Amino acid sequence: MKGFAVILKMELQLFIRDFFGFFFALVFPVLMLLLFGGIYGNTPIYYGADVKMMDISVPAYSVMVIGVTGLMSLPLTLSGYKEKKIYKRFDATPVGKKSIILAQVFTNLIMTLIGIVILLVVGTLLYQIQIKGAFISICVSVLLSIAAMFSMGFLFTAIGSDLKSTSLLCYLFYFIMLFLSGATMPDMLFPDTIKKISDFLPMTYAVDLMQGVFAGDSFSKHGTELLILGSVTVICTVVGAVLYRRKDWT
Amino acid sequence: MSQTIVQVENLNLTYKSLHAVQNVSFSVKSGEIMAVIGQNGSGKTSTVECIEGLRKPDSGLIHVFGKDPWLHRSKVYKEMGVQLQEAEYPSKIRVEEQCRLFASFYERPADWDLLLTQMGLDEKRKRPIHKLSGGEKQRLSVLLSLMGRPKLLVLDELTTGLDPEVRHNMWISFENIRKSGVAIIMVSHYLDEVEALADKILYLEKGKQQFFGTQQEFREYVKKRIPQDEWEDNLSLEKLYLMIAPKTTGLTMEGIL
Repeated sequence: MKGFAVILKMELQLFIRDFFGFFFALVFPVLMLLLFGGIYGNTPIYYGADVKMMDISVPAYSVMVIGVTGLMSLPLTLSGYKEKKIYKRFDATPVGKKSIILAQVFTNLIMTLIGIVILLVVGTLLYQIQIKGAFISICVSVLLSIAAMFSMGFLFTAIGSDLKSTSLLCYLFYFIMLFLSGATMPDMLFPDTIKKISDFLPMTYAVDLMQGVFAGDSFSKHGTELLILGSVTVICTVVGAVLYRRKDWT
Repeated sequence: MSQTIVQVENLNLTYKSLHAVQNVSFSVKSGEIMAVIGQNGSGKTSTVECIEGLRKPDSGLIHVFGKDPWLHRSKVYKEMGVQLQEAEYPSKIRVEEQCRLFASFYERPADWDLLLTQMGLDEKRKRPIHKLSGGEKQRLSVLLSLMGRPKLLVLDELTTGLDPEVRHNMWISFENIRKSGVAIIMVSHYLDEVEALADKILYLEKGKQQFFGTQQEFREYVKKRIPQDEWEDNLSLEKLYLMIAPKTTGLTMEGIL
């Protein structure tokens, strides 16, 4: 347990020292919030709409944070450590590689939650966002979205034979989902063709669920989102685990 | 009385169609240094990685402290330290952080402050590992292998990348470690190092065990295999080895420039 605590502390320090992860998980979403908040304020997204810009932007940018940690930071760290044989070095100690992989999952989980809390604090203080959803419902939505994105990232590392191919998968899916899921701009503003494409992206369902639950919707209104995110989590984890067992760790 | 620390019998390991290790058998006792020698690709690292529990052998028996290292890796590693042939560390971690991390894995870790000084890394403790030179990384790697006060050390190319002075200091250090009863398995291409340190030699070629025994027995082994007019007493281990090692062709560069 002492060993795990020290590994976790080390991984948290390394996350903060890594400019990419730190900036895109903790700073960039806040900058986006400040930019669009500065332009629109917390006004209705179009004339007469009862949905306000910042009220839906905070949950959407929260999914952006989850995307950065789940689809970029975690899988690229996993893949990089494997390629550099860092896991092999940990296997040659009493703690083994499972401890460091677990620590990396926890590190990204903690950083995701910190990123979301920062967005909530900035949104509340600067734009007086309204969160109508129950605390427990929001927690479940956040954790389910994290589970789905992290499991997708895990699958990418299992499919990728090395850091280069894993990076390609991660960048491709991250940016497609980032721009077409509604995480950067409201999907209500998308043309029909883009909307059809976004229906195939798991991140779209994370954005819809989070925006709905933040606005006070019950889970019964979001059965499809819950089903899809749950299925993505199970399928990606199982397939990823099967592929991982076949990998050569030496 | 010396206790058997490592027992290997009829070890076999294949990678797809390549039979990397074939029927290798040996044992190492406490206070003994065994060197594994042979050409590149002869199965040295594959053999020691089976002992380290990092590779699962196809067949054969491996006991380290009486346990199968593949099945009981975490227990075995409480008493075994390893320096891998190639291993990196997280690039932005600092030397002292890596030491503190590894120290946390053991109930009774070594005094790593002292080890940093002894390895000449004291002034580099705040430096990120990726900024260390190759030799400094190698010394750190050796330091980390000692962190758990091991009773068995497995060192894969111990002094590769070290300058001559550090190499000799390293020899003295490992001679002292052996005297304290630690068993050491070392893979090396430096036969002067093997001659200076090893009690026993395991010689592999193309995955097959050619010889296992003491240095004196290795001399007799070579003597039997070469024409008698080529034999001289007091030949160095390196010369003995070159007399029987398969000849590598194509490395002369003759006629290239």
